[in-house]
Amino acid sequence: MGVLVLALALGVTLGLLTDIGVPPEMLTYVGVAVLAALDSCTGGVRASLEETFTDKAFVFGFLTNMLMAGFIVFVGDRIGVSELYLAAVVAFGVRVFDNLGVVRALLFKRRGWE
Amino acid sequence: MKNPLRQPALVVVIGILGFMLAMAFNTTTRLQGAQPERASDLASVVQDMEAQRDSLEIRLAGLRDEVTALEEIAATEQGIRDSFTQQIEVARLAAGLTGVKGPGVSVVLGDGSDVIPGTDPNLYLIHDSDIAAVVNALFVGGAEAVDVNGERVVATTPIRCAGSTVLVNARRLGGPYTVNAVGDSDALYESVVDDPAAGLLFEAYRTQFGLDVSVTRLDEVEVSAYRGSFRPTYAVQAEEEDV
Repeated sequence: MGVLVLALALGVTLGLLTDIGVPPEMLTYVGVAVLAALDSCTGGVRASLEETFTDKAFVFGFLTNMLMAGFIVFVGDRIGVSELYLAAVVAFGVRVFDNLGVVRALLFKRRGWE
Repeated sequence: MKNPLRQPALVVVIGILGFMLAMAFNTTTRLQGAQPERASDLASVVQDMEAQRDSLEIRLAGLRDEVTALEEIAATEQGIRDSFTQQIEVARLAAGLTGVKGPGVSVVLGDGSDVIPGTDPNLYLIHDSDIAAVVNALFVGGAEAVDVNGERVVATTPIRCAGSTVLVNARRLGGPYTVNAVGDSDALYESVVDDPAAGLLFEAYRTQFGLDVSVTRLDEVEVSAYRGSFRPTYAVQAEEEDV
């Protein structure tokens, strides 16, 4: 658990230090990608706790999530429904909380708090 | 028990997630920082332009004063006389009352020799219509002044036949005829040579009837002044207008 928090902190620090940004019009893409990554990560944690984690499935899921999210934003922009990104936001948001619930339950179980 | 969360891929991806979060954060921060900056930029642009406008207004006021002063000068008697003299100079030049010189062409029209027996001798002569065609072609080419054997062609100039001579400005002229014109020499030359009527003189008729004709481009041509008089009997000025 500590390793994951450390990795997150390291990534944030690195990002802030390098001060890399994106063009303002690309902000939606980054936001949706962040949500997709968040979904993948919570899913990964959940799978780890469930002992069903495989590198291949995880990395592949992470990449397809991000690509699909980006694609939805792109299509929304092109067909004039730029709010289409909300579909990705909602779907990922629901999944993130879903995963989070399972992770919490599993962690509680492991520590014998139940 | 081995910690199931120690998955290298998971660790890496979480690191990437953190990096992306920071990236989005950076962009948003920059966006918020940039807007006030831009607003102050625009404010300074507006200030600059206002300063520019003020200085231009001052300059405009100065120029208006200058114009007023100049108008007062122009209103004095001397000013009126000067402007009239200028207008008269222009009018005299336009009417052909002054001799002029400048670049142009000199067209020589001479009768053909060696009349072949049995052919119409009229074909070997230069006629009034030939001269009129050449003069017209020269004006087409932008001639500013034209004379024929020293007779200036003006607005009322007729060119007509009078027996074996040609009448220009009521003066009888005999061949060979020299038509001088001031203007763009290349344009005049082309206009005369390419003219459907006048051009024949220098091509077909010259070779066929041996006409002694030529068009010469010159750096300086002199065109005489009109020596006749204007005595309008019927024409009166239609309306008062500034020249």
